Amino acid sequence: MKITKRRFLLAAAVLPISTLSIPGMASAEGDVTISHYFTGELGKAAIDSIAGKFAEETGYTMKDSPVGHEDFKTDILVRAAGQSLPDVFSYWAGARVQFVVDSNSLTPIDGMWEREGMDDVIAQALADSATMYNGNRYLVPAGYHYAGMFYNKKVMDDAGVTDFPSDWAGFLDLCENLKGMGIAPIALGSKNRWPAQFWFDYLILRTAGPDYRANLMNGTASYDDPEVMNAMAMWTDLINRGCFVPNANADSWTDASDRVARGEAAMTLMGTWITGYWNGNGMVPGEDYDFFEFPTITEGVPNAVVGPVDGWVVSANAENVAGAEAWLAYFISNTDAQVEWANVQGALSGNVNVDPSAYNSVMQKASAAVAAAEAFAFNYDLATPPPVAEVGLSMFAQFMDDPSDYEALLADTQESAMAAFSN
Amino acid sequence: MKGVRAGSRSPIFCGARRMEQSNRFWRTVLLAAPVAVFTVFVIWPLLSSFHYSFTNWNGFNREFDYVGFSNYAKIVTDKLFLNAAINTVIWMVAAILLPTLLGLGLALLIDSRVPGGTMFKSIFYLPICLSAVVVGQIWVWIYQPDWGLLNTVIGLVSGEEFRYPWLAKPDTALGSVIIAWAWQQTGLSMVIYLAGLTSIPEDLIEVCEIEGATAWQRIRMLIIPLLTPATVVVIALSVINSLKGFDILYIMTGGGPFHSSDTLAMHMYNESFKKYLMGYGSAISVVLFLIALTIIRIYFRQLRRVDEIYG
Repeated sequence: MKITKRRFLLAAAVLPISTLSIPGMASAEGDVTISHYFTGELGKAAIDSIAGKFAEETGYTMKDSPVGHEDFKTDILVRAAGQSLPDVFSYWAGARVQFVVDSNSLTPIDGMWEREGMDDVIAQALADSATMYNGNRYLVPAGYHYAGMFYNKKVMDDAGVTDFPSDWAGFLDLCENLKGMGIAPIALGSKNRWPAQFWFDYLILRTAGPDYRANLMNGTASYDDPEVMNAMAMWTDLINRGCFVPNANADSWTDASDRVARGEAAMTLMGTWITGYWNGNGMVPGEDYDFFEFPTITEGVPNAVVGPVDGWVVSANAENVAGAEAWLAYFISNTDAQVEWANVQGALSGNVNVDPSAYNSVMQKASAAVAAAEAFAFNYDLATPPPVAEVGLSMFAQFMDDPSDYEALLADTQESAMAAFSN
Repeated sequence: MKGVRAGSRSPIFCGARRMEQSNRFWRTVLLAAPVAVFTVFVIWPLLSSFHYSFTNWNGFNREFDYVGFSNYAKIVTDKLFLNAAINTVIWMVAAILLPTLLGLGLALLIDSRVPGGTMFKSIFYLPICLSAVVVGQIWVWIYQPDWGLLNTVIGLVSGEEFRYPWLAKPDTALGSVIIAWAWQQTGLSMVIYLAGLTSIPEDLIEVCEIEGATAWQRIRMLIIPLLTPATVVVIALSVINSLKGFDILYIMTGGGPFHSSDTLAMHMYNESFKKYLMGYGSAISVVLFLIALTIIRIYFRQLRRVDEIYG
């Protein structure tokens, strides 16, 4: 056919319209659409590897559309608004999944849970805290993390630190010791706000306990309570003592991790994903870095640990529910996949059948710390509803900039949190 | 030879009519595509925003309630909205004034035939060829507290280590982004003013010189008034670009630290996509739309006046 100028112009005009329909095209039978925020080089490669094996064993093909971690929160909302959620997507257990469940955007997986015997696969504590919402199962954990005080071994060795503090007085002594040797004790990168939350979480949990903290997260306790004031006073004291590297709000969490890796600072309070980051940069677990648990502050308060749980959920508009459920069951049940995933992500497996010896030495220690803990708490932005979390995260950043008037800051936060809870 | 029947049209007339019909058909077909795109991506979202601004939709839930004007009432008492509105005014005024004044200054300098003028013209114009995301990232590096160019230069000049976190302090975050924005936009203003300067007759300037006008008097009383049409274009582009100025803020500060560089567009984004308050975010977007509409109407009114004066 001769291509005339008119035909060319017509084709050019119609092409943009025709391409618009591509995202909405129905997936082929056996395809499972999936979206997630594991876009790091190693994480993406691991997902591809596990999806390949899943396809071989089940015949389902995963159609992947990953989105970067920070952008994922927006992307998934846009897709939900357009009622074009993928069949299965990764999400953060806790208040965020609760929010999506309350919005009727997820499919319950109780049938798959029974059929696949998930009670015998997933650790009981994790199943109780992360998978059930409004009386139904909705989430299968991909892996979970633990937040601890990760430090540079060489820096600590040079400072002559052999015993790590288990109480607050010992922790303050360690900071003073490091400062005396000209080493900045703590790096914190709160540019994206969330890294500061672990300080708030642990100070509240270690002084007021997990029950009070749960009340604060659900709005029945107040940000201007004496318990919160006390925790913030301790945090202020640490800042005023010069324990933190200045200008925390200028650094991201990787900047802070790099400071510790370079020896500019001794330690950082961070989740176990830092091990994946450091390992990727050539650091050796147990030789170049290690961690100790956040110290006890008030005797008698239950020992709770903090961390997020990454999970898989099935959307309410999933076209291939059977395929999506098969992916969830495979991902958590297959121990090889779990070990591969945990080691790449610096995560802990929720599968009770995974042998902890498959982890590196630091992750084995983290696994033991979680096992010995009396409670597992989601970190702040996963424990309280998203609109409230936004208020609190901004408060942490403002506090790190100027902690001097934290009482007024907390009063203001309480007012904003009440408004956010009422939305 | 057969005669032409009464009432029939000549072949030339029929051909012209067929061509006219054909042209009309293709005009309709070719216009349909942009009209469809405009309707789908501009008109429909606009109408949807109006609709959702009267709801409590959270973005996830397919169900929502109509809440009347409560989202608009909330705007009045929202401290963060007021903060964002003030920042938006600062942003717009600075985003209009800085590129306009700097562009005019550079154009006058280059037009005065300084050595290397052509090279400087290319260098100053270069940033406008970069995307706002790239410009934002470049300036994030320039402002980096430990090894950024700005602190390094200040440290070298002062002889003391200087580590000010420009983007992490509420007092300097917005101003720092405005400087980055002006750096990018100035080149465009400069080129428009240079084009305007070429249209000013040389003999007019020579007459001024003969009459004893100083350089400043020539600029103030002759060149600037004659550059009014160029100024109108520069301001128009500055207004339009400043209203679109979301991406560079998002890259450089994300509205932070703690809302100190939030503009209305950023506040709308945060309320909609971080707090999941789509209904309230839609109400903010409607207010933002009305503000933009008012500014554009004022601009067109002024444009008509300039046209009447300068033709």
